[in-house]
Amino acid sequence: MSVQELLAEYGDKYVLALLTTWKLTALAFSAAFVIGIVVTVMRVSPVKPLRVAGELYVQIFRNIPGAALLIVLVYALPYLNVVLSYFTCVLTATALIPAAFCSEYLMAGMNTIALGQIEAARALGMNFSKMIRLIVIPQALRSSVLPMTNLLVATMLTTALASQVPLNPTDLTGIVAHINTHAVGGVTAFLISAMLYCATAVVIGQIGNLIDRKVRILR
Amino acid sequence: MSTARVSIKDALYEPPGPKSRKVIGIATAISLAVLAVLVVLIIRQFYITGQLNARYWSFFGRATTWKFLGKGLLGTLEAAALAGIVTFAAGFCMMLGRISKYKAVRGISTALIEFTRGVPTLLFIYFFFLVAPQLGWKLSPLWKIAAPVAISASGVVAEVLRSGVNAVPKGQREAALSLGMRDGTVFFKIVFPQALRYVVPALIAELVIVVKDTTFAYVVNFPDLMQNAKVLISNYDAMLSVYLLVACIYILINYLINKISDLTAGLQNITIGTSRDGRRAGGRYGADRGE
Repeated sequence: MSVQELLAEYGDKYVLALLTTWKLTALAFSAAFVIGIVVTVMRVSPVKPLRVAGELYVQIFRNIPGAALLIVLVYALPYLNVVLSYFTCVLTATALIPAAFCSEYLMAGMNTIALGQIEAARALGMNFSKMIRLIVIPQALRSSVLPMTNLLVATMLTTALASQVPLNPTDLTGIVAHINTHAVGGVTAFLISAMLYCATAVVIGQIGNLIDRKVRILR
Repeated sequence: MSTARVSIKDALYEPPGPKSRKVIGIATAISLAVLAVLVVLIIRQFYITGQLNARYWSFFGRATTWKFLGKGLLGTLEAAALAGIVTFAAGFCMMLGRISKYKAVRGISTALIEFTRGVPTLLFIYFFFLVAPQLGWKLSPLWKIAAPVAISASGVVAEVLRSGVNAVPKGQREAALSLGMRDGTVFFKIVFPQALRYVVPALIAELVIVVKDTTFAYVVNFPDLMQNAKVLISNYDAMLSVYLLVACIYILINYLINKISDLTAGLQNITIGTSRDGRRAGGRYGADRGE
C-alpha cells in the first residue's frame, strides 16, 4: 500500500493510536515520578525496614522484563481475585518499571549535592524532613532533568507493551500489528508508527534540553 | 549506582541522640508492622484463592520441570548472546560513522542512532515478524527475535562507545599522530582499546536490556524461558506459580548482570557516563548507568 492509501484508510486510527501512546506515556510517567520520589525518600530514610523495602522495590522493578510483569498482571493476578482492566494492567506495568529507574536517577542526582550543604542545614537546626524537602529533593530534581527526559522517552518506549493486550483504541505499535494482520501494510505502516515515535522522542529531548539549560546547577 | 563511596544517604544524619533514637525506634516498629501486615495480606490472598495448594507448587520438585525450564533458559541465553554480538557490531559501526570525517556519513549515522533509540523494540519485532515475510525475507525464529532486539539496543551501544572514545585524553591521539601513525592505526591501536576499557561496565549493563527484550520471543514463537513456561502452565494448569517463578528467574539473571557490571566498574575505578558531554544519553533504561 502507498502512503496515501494507508493514510486514507487508517489515518484516523493512527491519530487515535498516537493519542493513546501519548496518554499512556503521560499517565505512566506521572505515576512513576510520584512512586519514584516516595521510594527514594524511603531509601534514604533512617528507618531500616523502609530502606530495605525501597531497595527491594528498585531491584525487582529495574530487573523485571516488561513483558513478564504485564503477563503476571494480566493472566496471573486474576487467580488471586485481582482483576484489572487491560488498560490498568498496561498502565501499572509502564508505571512500576520506570519508577524504579526514576529512584535510581534521583539517588544519582542527590549524590551530586555537596556534603557541606547537609552539614550547613544541620547546623541551622533542620530536621530530616525539612532537609529532604528544602535542600535535597529540589537540587536532586534540578540535576536530574536530563535523566528524567530519557526516562520519559523510555516510558514511551515501554508503553508499546499495550500492543500485547486487546486495547481499543490500540497504541502505535498495536496498530502496525493490526494493519499487517488485516491487510498488507508493508514497510510504510511500520515507518509511519516509527516516525511518530521518533518525532515524539525528539520533541521530548528538545524540551528536556531547554529545561535543563534553565535549571541546571553549574558546579 | 549510589551505594559505593560516602554517599549522601549516610551523610543525611549524624549518630542520633536519645530523642531521635526513640523516634526512629517507633518509626521502625510501625513500618515493620505495616510491612508485615502487607505480607500477611498477600499470603492470605494466596490462601483464600487456593493458590497455596500443593498441586500448584509440587511439580517444582520434579527434575523434568527444571530441565524443561533450563532448556527455555538456554533459548533465552542463545537469543541474548546472538543479539548481544550483533548489537556490539552494529553499535561499533554506527559509532564509527558518528565520528567520521565526512559530514554525510556523520549525518546518516546520527539519524540511524536516533531512529533506533526512539522506536520501541516491540515495533521492530513486529517489523521482523509481520513485515519482513511480506518483503520475502526468510528468517529463522532465532533471528526474528535476535535481530530486532539487537537493532533497538545498537543505538545506545553506539553512544556508549562514543562516550568512551571521547573520554580518551586528546594527548594520546596527538602523541600517536606525531609518531607517524595513520588515522586508522591511531584509532584502532591507541584510542579504541582505551575507550573500550572505560565503557565495559556500561556495555555489560546493556546486556540487561537485551535479556529483557528477548522476553518478547513468544511473539515470534522462539522457544525461550517465557515460551517454555507457557507449555508448563498448560501441562500443570498452574498459571500463577509458574509466571511468578519465571519473573523471579529473570529478575535474578538481570540482577547478576548488573552486579557484574558494578564489579567491573569497581575494578577500574574509572567510569564514564554517556551524559558526560551534556548530550542526552540513551533513550532506554540503564543507558546512562556507570556515571
